[in-house]
Order: sequence, then C-alpha cells, then structure tokens
Amino acid sequence: MAVYKRGYQRYGGPRTPRLERLLVLPREAWRRVSGQRIVTALIAVSCIWPLLCALFIYVSNHTELWAGIDGDFRKFLAIDAAFFLTFMKVQSVFSVLLAALAGPGLIAPDLGNQGLALYFSRPISRLEYSLAKMAALMWLLSLVTWIPGLLLFLMQASMSPAGWMAAHWRLAAGVVFGFWQWVALVALVALASSAWVRWRLIAGAVVLGYFFVLSGIGVLVNAIFRVEWGDLINPLRASYGLWCAMAGAELPRGLSLPTALLALALMGGLLALALERRLRPVEVVS
Amino acid sequence: MSQPVVELEDLHVKLGRREILHGISCRLGVSGRGRAIGLLGPNGAGKSTLIRTLLGFHAPSAGRARVLGYDCRTDRRRVLERIGYMPETDSFIASMTGVEFLRVMGALSGLPAEIALEKAHETLFHVGLGEARYRTLGTYSLGMRQLARLAQAIVHGPELVILDEPTNGLDPSARRRMLELIRQMKEEHGMSVIVCSHLLADVEQVCDEVMILKDGRMVHHADLEAERRENRRFVELEVEGDDSGLGAALESKGAACVHEPPGRWRVVLPPDFDAAELWKLAAAQGLSVRRLTQRRDTLEEIFMKAMGLMRQSPGEAVASEETAAHGGL
Repeated sequence: MAVYKRGYQRYGGPRTPRLERLLVLPREAWRRVSGQRIVTALIAVSCIWPLLCALFIYVSNHTELWAGIDGDFRKFLAIDAAFFLTFMKVQSVFSVLLAALAGPGLIAPDLGNQGLALYFSRPISRLEYSLAKMAALMWLLSLVTWIPGLLLFLMQASMSPAGWMAAHWRLAAGVVFGFWQWVALVALVALASSAWVRWRLIAGAVVLGYFFVLSGIGVLVNAIFRVEWGDLINPLRASYGLWCAMAGAELPRGLSLPTALLALALMGGLLALALERRLRPVEVVS
Repeated sequence: MSQPVVELEDLHVKLGRREILHGISCRLGVSGRGRAIGLLGPNGAGKSTLIRTLLGFHAPSAGRARVLGYDCRTDRRRVLERIGYMPETDSFIASMTGVEFLRVMGALSGLPAEIALEKAHETLFHVGLGEARYRTLGTYSLGMRQLARLAQAIVHGPELVILDEPTNGLDPSARRRMLELIRQMKEEHGMSVIVCSHLLADVEQVCDEVMILKDGRMVHHADLEAERRENRRFVELEVEGDDSGLGAALESKGAACVHEPPGRWRVVLPPDFDAAELWKLAAAQGLSVRRLTQRRDTLEEIFMKAMGLMRQSPGEAVASEETAAHGGL
C-alpha cells in the first residue's frame, strides 16, 4: 500500500542493538563531510606526495638503475626512518588542511540550529556523540595519513630482501600509531573549533592557527626565554618527538619523550574539556 | 498496581547554586492508557526544568524522578528509548531533508534502517508534511518546522511523548492541526503525552490531567475529566417572571442554589439531575428561561486559584454559602 494511504502506525517491532545505533551518527557525519567537493579535491591533492614517495621507493629498490652513482647519493636513496618521518611531516600538513575544511561543518550546524537537544533526547550520550563525529573525521584524515603510510611500508617490504620487514617493524608502528595520535589530535582540535566557533571560515582558521601559530609561539618562547617549556604548547614538535620515538629515530634536539607526552596529554585534556563544556543539550545560565 | 507515567519523589533540582525545583512529589498519568498530562505554570515556574530532568538533561540534586518505571538518572538510556521529545526551541538540522532528518532520528532511536526510512515517510505524511518531505529543513516555515519536530518525536513510536509548548507561534489552523495530532496520539495510538504549555485553552482541549507549578513547587494536580464531570453540575440560570418559589423547587430536587436578583441563579445540580430538567422546573413555576449556561472556563479558574489570584471558584462559592446557610463552619 502506498505510504500516503497507509497512515501512521506505531512501531512495535524489535529495536537495533546499541552499537548499530551508534554507527548511525558517524555514517551521517561522513556523508556530510564527504559530500563537499573541496574536500574531495584536497584528498586528491594529498595523494600526490604518497605517489611520489611510492615512486621513490620503487627507484631506490632498483639499484641497477644507479650503477656508478656515488655512495652519498645511494645513502640519500635509503628507505629508513628519516624517509618515513619526512613523509609523515608532509602528510600531517595536508591532514590539518583537510580538518580545517571538513571539521567546522560537523558540530557547528547542530549547535547553531539547537539540534543537540534532539540527539541527546535519544539514547545517546555526549561522549558517544563526540566520538561518532570524531570517528568520521578520523576516517577522513586516515585516507591521507596512516593508510598511505602503511601502504608505502608494505611496498618497501615487498621490494626489499627477506627480513627487512622484521628488522624495521618499528617504522610501521611509528607510521600507524604516530599517525593515529596525530589524527586524534587534529580531529579533537577541529571538533572543539566547530563547537565554539559558529562561522565555518573562522573555525577553519582556528584549526590552522592552533597548529601553525601555536607552534610558532612555542618556538619563539623557547628562543627568547631560552627555556624548553615552549614545547608544551607546540603540537607539531611534540607530535614529531613522539613519532621519532615510535619509529626508533633520534628525538629532535632539546625535546624529551616525557615532555612530548606531557604536552600531548595536556592538549588532549584541554580540548576534550572545551568540547565537554560546549556539548550540552540545553544552555544553563547559572 | 497501574504504573504511573511519571513519578516524582521529593524532587529537587539545582542549576548552578540556584534551586529551581523545590521538592516535588506526585504521580502523573497511567502507563499504556493513552492519557495526556498538561504541565502548566507561569514563566519561571520550572516546567522546562522538570521536563529536562525527566529527559536526563539535568540531574536531581535530591529526590527521584521515574519515567515509565525507570529512574531518570540511573536508567537514563532505558527512559530515552521509550520517549519522544519535541523541544520548545526551533531545533532542526538545516542541511537535511525532512525524510533524512526523520530517518536518522528514527535510526538513532533503534529503528532498523529500512523501517526507519519507511516510518520517516509515514510520519511525515501523518503530520501533513508529505509534499515537503524532500525539501531541506532550512527551507521550512516555522509551522512546518514545528510539525517536523513533532514528527521526529513520534517517528519511533514511543510510549511517552513530551511536547514543550507545541502550539507556540502557530497560526490558528496549524494550531488546530497540532491539537488534533496530539489527540490522535493518545486516543488512536495509545501514547501517553505530556504537554507543557502556558496556553490554558490548548491544555484544556487535549489533556486529561493537569499539574500546575509555581515557583518550582507543585501547587495543584487535578484530573480534568473529573473536573469536567463536576462542572457539568454547575449552571447559571437567568429567568423572567416571579421566581420566588424557584429556590425551594430547586432544593426539593436536591440542588444547591444562590439567588442573585433580579432573576439570576447559580445552581449546583445533584449528580443524577439532568440540566434539561431545569426547563421543566421553570415552566412549572411559570417562568421563562432567558439563559442557561454550564460552566466552561474551568481550567482557567483552577489555574487562577492555584496561582493565588482567585480565592475560590463559583461552584465552591455556592457550596460554601450553602454550608454557611446551614450553620456550617
């Protein structure tokens, strides 16, 4: 029977399990994020560097092409921690740009239209709502971070002599876990910005500012006051320190692993607090 | 024993340092009976705070609130699975079409994906948005958005629907439609409905029970159905002619009355007395009836009394005068 003839009937059948319900929000958020053409374009641009890296790996593994080339150049062609850290540095910039474009549209429209009361009057907690939105953004950022990183590692492993993979497993761990930490931090910044700033352009600028301006300020603080606590407000340096530690490379001069971890924990905590303060079903004026 | 829809036990709610609800205790509605409960009170009385507490948005600072037998604080998820909420504020997701909005809301409430889509269409037709269901919500008029908010509250077929100011800002025809939908929800679909409103006429039209709040306290809880039955017993009569014997004639039938000369009577009829009998009684006295009205503005009187703006209702005035006449206190 046509739906307009049938009339409204109360649903009395079985309900979906909790996990299935929770996946509704990330799916919806993903639809919202991936529907933007500029985001698709930026993802395409973000794939250029991984493709160049793949070409580099191919070339470096075909030494017959470089017969007669001096040792220094052969050293430059080596696929090691420095190669993957460089790859991560470049892709992390793209991931921030992507978050600045896609992130502001995730929470701000719900807040702007007072839609949170509609979500939170259903069996969904604020934590689940935040995680759902974050999951959509993290999946988007994964497309340009750890997924191509892992593919490059596997490509190198497949082209290298047996045993390379076992000997360099920390590189894979550094790429995957390092990028997971990075993607989580970027997504948190983007969500917090989306929750506090209504205008998309400004929210995007806040995301860029958080990573690039704050990092600049951190470097300036260290340089001017000859201290090291400027690293605590430098998300790029703190994350890079963690990646180095995970990939088994030497940490940047003046940065210790505990400082990097403390800085990241502080940032994560403050961003989560900022989100928590904003994601309320109703505004309460005390 | 029948399960109340809402059960409050000495409920206190604080927002910041300010206490908004000061120890409310009551049992409202009966689960599964399809009754509508009106929540009335002036601005700042605590109606919205009470609703938000039932939804788990605010935690009680003391006491307990239970909805359909589940504690709003400890069993919040179970409570929310069983209720639908239409907020007072203009809440919507601007970028979604009507169908998408309802499909997502239905799926979040536990409808399987295909059924969520089917119910989204069905509900939009039901509330009268069938033709606009593929338009984005941002393009809807205020009245349409109000209907969309109602639709999202019922798409998953909840046991209890909480409507916060459902007729606010609606034109008369949209208001009538909204009230009709509320009536259908309780009478045809067996949902319990809580209507929070400051429009007494709306509440009177659709509600069977009413709770009145003032300054965060419950000042009155009434069964409107019983009140209506009671009201049918109170009439105002205006006659022409010599009515000196009418009082005695009415009293002989068991009615209590007050005479307000010339020719005006306020009468409380006994339970088994049909108002039509008054015509015969007046004719027997040789009187012509110029006016015979039954009391209508009950809820307004109840409300005014609860607010302390009126000492007693006309029916009670007659009863008290009668008591005084018989040497009562």
